[in-house]
Amino acid sequence: MLNGKTYLAAGISGLLAVAGIAPQALAANETVTVVLPEEPPSLEPCESKHSSVGRVLIQNITEPLTVIDPKTGVVKPELATKWEQTAPDTWRFHLREGVTFSDGAPFDAKAVAASIDRLQRGDMTCNTKQQTLGGVDITTTVVSDYVVDFKTNKPIPIFPTMMTVVQMSSPNMALEGASRKPIGTGPYVLTAWNAGTDITVERRDDYWGEKPAVSGARYVWRSESALRAAMVATGEADLTPIISVADADNPETDLAYPNGETTRLRISTNVPPLDDKRVRLALNLAIDREGLKVLFGAEAKLAEQLVGPNVNGFNPDIKPFPYDPEKARQLLAEAKADGVPVDKAITIIGRNEIYVNAGEALEAMQAMWSEVGLNTQIRMFDTGNWLRYQNRPFPEPDMANLHQDQHDNLLGDATFTAFNKYDSDGVNSAVYDKRVDDLIAEAEPATGETRTKAFQEAFRTLHDDVVADIYMYHMIGYTRVNPRLDWRPSLATNSEIDLSEIRFRASE
Amino acid sequence: MRFFKRSLFTLLSMAGLLLLVFFLSRMTGDPSYLFLPLDASPADREAFSRLHGFDDPIYLQFGRYVVDLLHLDFGRSLSQQRSAMDIALEAFPHTLKLASTALAIAFAGAILCGSLAARKPGGVVDRLISVFSLTGASTPDFWVAIILVLIFAVSLGWLPTSGVGGPAYWVLPLFVLALRPFGLLGQVVRGSMIGALSSPYVKTAYAKGASQTKIVFVHALRNSMLPVITVAGDLAANLLNGAVIVETVFGWPGIGRLMIDAIMQRDFAVIQASILVTACAILILNILLDIAYVVLDPRVRHA
Repeated sequence: MLNGKTYLAAGISGLLAVAGIAPQALAANETVTVVLPEEPPSLEPCESKHSSVGRVLIQNITEPLTVIDPKTGVVKPELATKWEQTAPDTWRFHLREGVTFSDGAPFDAKAVAASIDRLQRGDMTCNTKQQTLGGVDITTTVVSDYVVDFKTNKPIPIFPTMMTVVQMSSPNMALEGASRKPIGTGPYVLTAWNAGTDITVERRDDYWGEKPAVSGARYVWRSESALRAAMVATGEADLTPIISVADADNPETDLAYPNGETTRLRISTNVPPLDDKRVRLALNLAIDREGLKVLFGAEAKLAEQLVGPNVNGFNPDIKPFPYDPEKARQLLAEAKADGVPVDKAITIIGRNEIYVNAGEALEAMQAMWSEVGLNTQIRMFDTGNWLRYQNRPFPEPDMANLHQDQHDNLLGDATFTAFNKYDSDGVNSAVYDKRVDDLIAEAEPATGETRTKAFQEAFRTLHDDVVADIYMYHMIGYTRVNPRLDWRPSLATNSEIDLSEIRFRASE
Repeated sequence: MRFFKRSLFTLLSMAGLLLLVFFLSRMTGDPSYLFLPLDASPADREAFSRLHGFDDPIYLQFGRYVVDLLHLDFGRSLSQQRSAMDIALEAFPHTLKLASTALAIAFAGAILCGSLAARKPGGVVDRLISVFSLTGASTPDFWVAIILVLIFAVSLGWLPTSGVGGPAYWVLPLFVLALRPFGLLGQVVRGSMIGALSSPYVKTAYAKGASQTKIVFVHALRNSMLPVITVAGDLAANLLNGAVIVETVFGWPGIGRLMIDAIMQRDFAVIQASILVTACAILILNILLDIAYVVLDPRVRHA
């Protein structure tokens, strides 16, 4: 029986529908709407390391020469079919034939050389170059139409891994500034970018690979996690790559996945009282990290090193520190008896929203450290000011501090972590230990098992002997996915959403 | 002479504002920390600063900024690497449309409800309207926005959660944005009308047999409008600065959200261009308010 409320609801819905203003429902078609946390600042292939750029660009509009299989961590062919090292500082890549950019330009050795030039232009817009290739300079030689040589200024044993981040772009793209009109070899082409509102891409008919099931995608962005979750719940969007643990309340649509991020508090190991190993150990033992999982999700794993199992050099034999406040008190008492100033204030340098519940986690840890007699104070910063404390030269170098940090290594090799984070000369490092320096120096030019074992030993030394960090978690991300899609997040979801991996469920 | 003085004062205000914004924004920190990767070396940071002129003395940077302004060059966004003024002018119309519509709704609603409430102070209608307007004026925007999304978009499915599109997309942002101005203006109209309705000219109008509707909405309302216009002008200036929370929650690409993002990213050129655009808009608003005063109050006209 219809009551007044029903009539009212029907009336309003009817009015909205007649006026053509009903909520925009997704047509039962092969397009998808993806809601991201933020609008990309550009769609510059050189900036694809930015997650907001990469999630639209990588594997959709542009492709690299090689890719890392997120399941196995193995480097696989993409636009290159094979490669070999012809000299310690030279790699030869054989390119896939019959590939064209979406503007019709052929993908060949000259196009690869142009992409590398784009990477190395001097206007400092290339995040990929700075973040991944660092001080590596590449000289490209066109051997033939589909064979290209890369000579580097120093031997790079993992050069094929490095090439996974270099997106190939059409030689016709303008070289100035950051592009908002990327042209790549990928299965999709950019069709519109309404600044502030949305980006749309459409499937290419002339794509070299398998035709994807998704015919097109619309990207929108909302900064609020609750809103992104609501958009998928109402059908306004099909997928959001990241929601908070508090919003992941529907087991049917909300999927947890290891997102490759590892969290820690970096210890300033050269400043009293943190220059005493017993104090650093006590800081670790005083934290009930199993209990703190309530802030990050039960699937989060306790961290014991700054890289995850996907990384060559991960040491599976390191055991996380247990929760043992009694032992922490005992260590602090011993240190105090030896004259270590354990009562000195230790500053926790936090960053607002570096990850979900970042501030709450610091407050909880501060309470736990207070329980064992440590004196800590929290200073929360925005990203810009937090970064001042991230890199050398450190401001306030005499301040005993714990720096809240999060690190991902999706490239699968410890070299992208070890030097900068832990070497005595590393730009983010607060560790000054010759054993660690020697192990990193031994690992970096090595290959195979020698490389792996040296990095593994470096991580063991950092955990057991140096106690370089307050290790927290190998983190979990949560996505919300419309049930009409057959798609699961992977380690790569943090930086890319490959539309060609999305299928539609049979019932749709 | 008066016009000349006023124009000079306006120009000085604008110059002071630009000076303040230029120096304050640069005190927020070094953009190289945000635009270069975490692992960037000090040499990379120095090269970045050199490339963008941040290594020059601050007075030289300011001089360059002023010279560029005189050539109508408002600088380039560091993050988007395109004209900062283009970015600000893309965002501002979104805010202008939303803010002006919300304020019009709030203004009309406040006049109607405030006038009705003032007819019988302490009566049932007055109490109901007062409770509603005070609630509207004191409820946090963020909370209202999320609750409305959960009710009308998620539970009932009547309206979209967010975004820009047809009229349905306007309903929730407008309601949230108009709520506080409605509450504040409603109280001002009520107070002003109570004073006006007890004036001798109203008693005269009653004695002449004018209808109550005519007395309230014609005689008393016009005389009650000056404080309402003043408060409305202040509210409008706030809205033109960007309804940051509403723009953020509902994914509205307005200038408030743009400014917050630019500040967080140390994108100085965008901060400066956005503030210049909103300052010009507020300047125009003030001119319109002056005209409204002149129209409504003969004393101002003849002063």
